[in-house]
Amino acid sequence: MEFFSPTSLDEAYRALSADEAQCLAGGQSLVAMMNLGMVSPTRLVSLRKIDSLRGITRQSDGSVRMGAMTTHAELANLDLPGAPASLLANAARVVAYPAVRMQGTLGGSIAHADPAADYPVVLTAARASVEIGSPLGSRLISASDFFRGVFETALQQGEIVTAVVLPPPEVGAGAAYEKLSLVAGDFAIVSVAAIVANTARIAVGGCSPKPMFASDINLTDDALLIAGKQIAVNSDPPSDQRASAAYRRRVVPELIRRAVRAAQASA
Amino acid sequence: MSVGARLPRIEAADKATGRARYVDDVKLPGMLHVALLTSPHAHARICGYRLDAARAVVGVKAILIGPDLKTPRAGGIIKDESMVARDKVRYVGEPVAAVAATDLATARRAVAMIEVDYEPLVAVLSVDEALAANAPILHEEFSSYVQSIKGGGRGNIIFETSLSEGDVQAAFAQCEVIVEGIFETQAQHHVYMETNGCVADVDASGKVTLYATCQSVHHIQQRVAEELGTPMAKVRVIATRVGGGFGGKHASNVHSITAWLARAAGRPVKLVLARTQDFEVQRSRHPARIWMKTGARRDGTILARDVEITTDGGAYADESPPVLTFALMMSRGPYRIANVRARGRAVYTNKLRAGSFRGFGNPQASFASESQIDELATRLGIDPVEIRLKNAMRPNDTAFGGHPVPSCVLRDCLVQVRAAQRHAAPLPVRPGRTRGVGFAAMSHVSGLMGTAAEVQLRTDGSIALSTGCVDLGQGADTTMVQICADTLQVAIDRVSYSQQDSDSSPYNWKTAGSRSTYMTGRAVAVATAAMRDKMLLHAGEMLECAIADLELRAGGLIGIKGIPSGVTFKDVALRSFFQAGGPIAANHSFVFDGPPFDPKRASIHQLAFQNLGVYTFGAHCVEVDIDEGTGKVEVRRAWCAHDVGRAINPLACEGQIQGGFVQGIGYALTEAMQWDSEGWLTTITLADYKVPGVLDCPAEIIPIILEDPEPSHPVGAKGVGEPSLVGAAPAIANAICNATGARLRALPMKPERVLEELEKRK
Amino acid sequence: MSDRLALLIKVNGEMHEALAASSATLLEVLRDQLNFTGTKRGCDHGVCGACTVLIDGNLARSCLALAADIGEREVTTVEGVAKGVNCSTVQRALIESGAIQCGFCTPGFVMALTYLFSCDPRPSREAIRVAISGNLCRCSGYVKIVEAAERVVEAGL
Repeated sequence: MEFFSPTSLDEAYRALSADEAQCLAGGQSLVAMMNLGMVSPTRLVSLRKIDSLRGITRQSDGSVRMGAMTTHAELANLDLPGAPASLLANAARVVAYPAVRMQGTLGGSIAHADPAADYPVVLTAARASVEIGSPLGSRLISASDFFRGVFETALQQGEIVTAVVLPPPEVGAGAAYEKLSLVAGDFAIVSVAAIVANTARIAVGGCSPKPMFASDINLTDDALLIAGKQIAVNSDPPSDQRASAAYRRRVVPELIRRAVRAAQASA
Repeated sequence: MSVGARLPRIEAADKATGRARYVDDVKLPGMLHVALLTSPHAHARICGYRLDAARAVVGVKAILIGPDLKTPRAGGIIKDESMVARDKVRYVGEPVAAVAATDLATARRAVAMIEVDYEPLVAVLSVDEALAANAPILHEEFSSYVQSIKGGGRGNIIFETSLSEGDVQAAFAQCEVIVEGIFETQAQHHVYMETNGCVADVDASGKVTLYATCQSVHHIQQRVAEELGTPMAKVRVIATRVGGGFGGKHASNVHSITAWLARAAGRPVKLVLARTQDFEVQRSRHPARIWMKTGARRDGTILARDVEITTDGGAYADESPPVLTFALMMSRGPYRIANVRARGRAVYTNKLRAGSFRGFGNPQASFASESQIDELATRLGIDPVEIRLKNAMRPNDTAFGGHPVPSCVLRDCLVQVRAAQRHAAPLPVRPGRTRGVGFAAMSHVSGLMGTAAEVQLRTDGSIALSTGCVDLGQGADTTMVQICADTLQVAIDRVSYSQQDSDSSPYNWKTAGSRSTYMTGRAVAVATAAMRDKMLLHAGEMLECAIADLELRAGGLIGIKGIPSGVTFKDVALRSFFQAGGPIAANHSFVFDGPPFDPKRASIHQLAFQNLGVYTFGAHCVEVDIDEGTGKVEVRRAWCAHDVGRAINPLACEGQIQGGFVQGIGYALTEAMQWDSEGWLTTITLADYKVPGVLDCPAEIIPIILEDPEPSHPVGAKGVGEPSLVGAAPAIANAICNATGARLRALPMKPERVLEELEKRK
Repeated sequence: MSDRLALLIKVNGEMHEALAASSATLLEVLRDQLNFTGTKRGCDHGVCGACTVLIDGNLARSCLALAADIGEREVTTVEGVAKGVNCSTVQRALIESGAIQCGFCTPGFVMALTYLFSCDPRPSREAIRVAISGNLCRCSGYVKIVEAAERVVEAGL
C-alpha cells in the first residue's frame, strides 16, 4: 500500500488521481475496516497535514464554515450561538466514544456516510451544505443532496470534502438530537434531529438509506404523531443485529415527538 | 491479620504499569505465527486438500490438516472432536487447516492458497431441526466415541439425564395454584478482554512447552498430550497472566494446534486469536429452552415443580453433559420444594460448540425459576420476597439430589437486600420512565474435584507457596497468599507464590466452578498449618520445651508462652537446612469429599457428576427505569447479597460480585450471538456483540457480603465467582414486570422485545 | 517488503526507529517492533479501548492509528505515565481501590483517566463515567474504577 502525506490540497488531488486511492482523515472508520479485512486500499492519502482543511470560521452572512478535518471533540465544544450550531454540537457529543471523538473528523465521517451515523441526520435537518474540492475547483452541495444512500455520497473519485457550511443561526429556534441505541456509544437504531421555531423541521436516521426529511410540521401532539406515522410509512428501514424494520417504524413517531419537545425546551 | 484484609491484587502494580506478561507479550527467538483456515460450511464432508501452492509460499514452515492426526478424538465426557476437522466439518468457522509461517501476513497468504474440496450436507441450525425425524446426523460414529458416561446418541442427542425427588404428579394434584411457561435463553459469549492464545516451544527431544492463557495448566497438559499421542511428561504448560476466562479458556483447539505445529516446525509457534476469530472458533454459553411448571398451596407453600430443559450444544459435546446436569440440579432453586422432577437433554446442532461459562447452566435454570416464583407470587397476591422467605432453604436442609447443606443464610440475604433497598435514599426516576423493583434468589456450589498445595520455608524464613490454581483475574493468587500468610501470622510480602507450571505445580483440576477459594484455599490452609507444625517441632527442640508450650507470634516468631524471647522463622529454617531434619516443607492434597447424591432421596439417571457441594446462597434486588416508548431498560441500582462463608479479601469479593452482576446485565439486556440461515455467526465484532460499557451499568452496585463460616474449610471460606451473574437476569425481568405488568420469558430483553410485550399488555 | 517504511516515532519522550508496513497500525508497531507491550490488543477494531494511548496528549485508539500517519506527533503509552518503577497517581488509585482484576483493560483505563485529569482535576462522577465510556472491562463492573478516579479527586492531587 502506498502512503502519501501531502501538505497542500493540490498535492492531495495529485495523489488521489490514481484509481482506488483513498483519503485518510481520522481513520476511525477506515482503519477499523482495514483491520477487519473489509477494505485494502492500494494507496492512502492522509489529509492530516493540510492546514486549509482545519479551522472554524464565522462568515460575513452569519454562516459557519467548518474545515473537514475538524474533530468531533472540537465540534462538541463549539461555542457558537443558535440553532444549527447547537444541534451539531449535541450530535458531536454522542458520536461513539471519547477517543474516537478526539481523532475522528467531520469530513471523514460524512464521506463515509454510514446510514446509522449522526452527522448525516443533523446536517440534513440543519440544511447545511457540503463543500467539495477537486482539481477543477470547489462546489457547494446541500447535505440532503450529498448523502445519496448506504455508504454513498455525491463525492466523485478524486474529490475531497473540504468543509461543511452551517447556515446562519435561526432566531428563536431551538434544536435537539435524539438518539436511540442499544448501548452507549453505539450507532443509532433510530435518530432524530429537530430544529423548531414556530414549526418543526426534522431529519430521521436509521430508517432509510439516506436521512428522511420533513418540515413545516405543526407542534401539537396530533400533528407530530401524524408526521411521525407518515415518516414511518414511507421509510425503508433495515432489519439488522440491532433491531428489526418493524421496531424502527414503531419507535420513530415517539422519537420525533421527543426531539421536537426537547428542541422547544432548548430555545 | 491478612485474612479479611482489603488488599489489592499482589500483581496489581504490574498490571497498572503494563508489565504483566500475557500470552501475546511472549516472544521467543525464531517464533512463527499461525493462521487458520476455517470451514465455510455448517455441515459438509471433506473430500480432499490441495496444499502445494501454500507449501510453496516462502516462509511457510508447517501446515496441519486433519489427515495428519493419528490419535483418537479428544474431548470431555464424550471424546468427539479434534484440533482440526477430520473427514467432516460441523460448523462454519471450524478450523480445517493451520499454517505456521515466519510472520502473520505470510501465514494468512498461505492459508488463502489452501484448497479444500467439500461435499456440502444439509445442516441443522436449531434444536428443533436437529431433533426432527430424518434430521441429518452430525456424529454418525457417536457410538464409537470414548464416553466416560454414556448418556446420548439417540439421533442428535449429546446427552440425556434426569433428577427427581418425591412425586410431582401427586403433588400437583394438591396444588391450588399452578403456573407454567416456556423460557428461552440465548448464546452468550465470554468476551474476556484478552482473546484465547498460546505460544508453543519445542526442545530437541520433542518435548513441547506451552505458554498459555488458560484455566488449568494440568488440564491443558492432559488434553495436548492426548491429542499429540505423547506422554504427559513430554508436554509442559506454563500459565501466562490471564486476561479473563469465565469458562472460555479451558483446553481448546488453540493449545493443541500450536503444540502440533511447534513439533512439526521444530520452532516456537504463536497463535493468538483475533477477536473476530475468537467468537467463531471457541465456545459460547448454551442457549436453552426451559419448560417449567410450579404448583403451590394458596398460602404460598410451593409443593411441586416439573422442569424440562433442552440445551443447544452446538457441533461438539465439550461440556454439554455437566452443564445440563448442573442446570437440572439448580432448577429447584434454593427452595424447600419436596417434589421436583427435572429432565433434560443436550442436542447437537451445526453451530459453534457451547461449553463452560460462568454459571454453568444455573443462569438458564434460574432465569426460569426466579421468574416463575414471581409469577406465582403475583397469582397468589403474595409479596415476592415473602414467598421466597416462606419457601427458602434453611441450614441442614438438603439440596436437590440430596447433598447436605449445613450452612444456609439465604433468608438473611433476602431480608438484607430488601431492607437495603427500602432504606436507601430514593433515586429519582428518570423523566418519562417507569420505575420497577425486582428480586431474585440463587444458590450455587463451590466444592468439586481435586487440588493440592505445597509450601516451603526458605533459609531467611520466607515462605514459598505453590499451587496449580490459575488466577484468571479474580484474585486467586492473592487469596492463596493471604491464607498462607495468615496461618503463619506473617506479612504477605514474606510469601512468594509461583507461576503455575505443569512440570512443578501441584495438581489442580481447573479454576472453574467458583471452587478456588474453597478447594485450593483449603489445601493451602492445611498445608501451611502442617508446615507450621513442623516448624513448631524444630522450635520445641531448639527451645527445649513441649510443643504445647509454644506459640506462634506475628512477624515470623515462635516462642514459649509467657516468655518474650524465642526463635525466628529464619533460625528454624537454618537449623532445618543445615543441622537437623532437612528443609521444611509440607503439602496437602484432596479431592472433594462431600457425599454424592442420595439415591434414597432422589432418582438419578446418568448425571454427569455426583460429587459436588459447599452450597452458597445469594439474593439480588434491582431498581430499573423502563422507557415505555422505546422498550429500553436501564438498571439504576442493584444490591447483591452473597454468602461467602468468610471473605478472605472483601475488596476482591466485592469486585467479583459487581463484575458478575454486570456480565449478568449483558446476559439480561444486550448480548446475543446470532447466526444467519447458512450458519454463519453474524455477531463477530464488538460493534455487533454488545457488552455493557460503564454508561450501560448502574453507578451503584452494592455488594452485601454475608459470612456464615463453612465448617469444612479451615478459614470458613466458600466461593463467590459465579452466583452474582446468575441473579441479574431474573431480577431485572421481575423488575420489568413489577413496573409494567409485562412478563418477558426470553433473553436478551432488548428494547424491541420489551416493547412487544408492553404492547401486548395494552 | 516493497511497502515497508522506515519510521521515526517519538514514544514516551524518546525517538524510536521502526521498519513497518505502510498499513501497520500504531498498535502493531508499539507492541511488535518497539516492545511497548503494555498497550493491549483487545479487538483491533476500535471498540474495546485496551489499545488506548495519547497522541499529542489526546486520547487515541492505537489500533485505529496508522503508524505511518503519526509523523512528528508524540505518543504516550502506559509505560510513559510514570517514571521508572514508580506509579502515577492514577495508577496508584486503581491499585488501591481494588479496581484491577485481570488487568488486561487496565492500561487503557490508565490512559483514559490520565487524559481526564490532564483536562480537569475535579471531574464529577458523571464526567468520570463519560471519560471511561470508551473502555470495556469484563471483570470489574466498572464501579471500583470510578471509585479510583473519585479517590484521585478527593486526594486533591
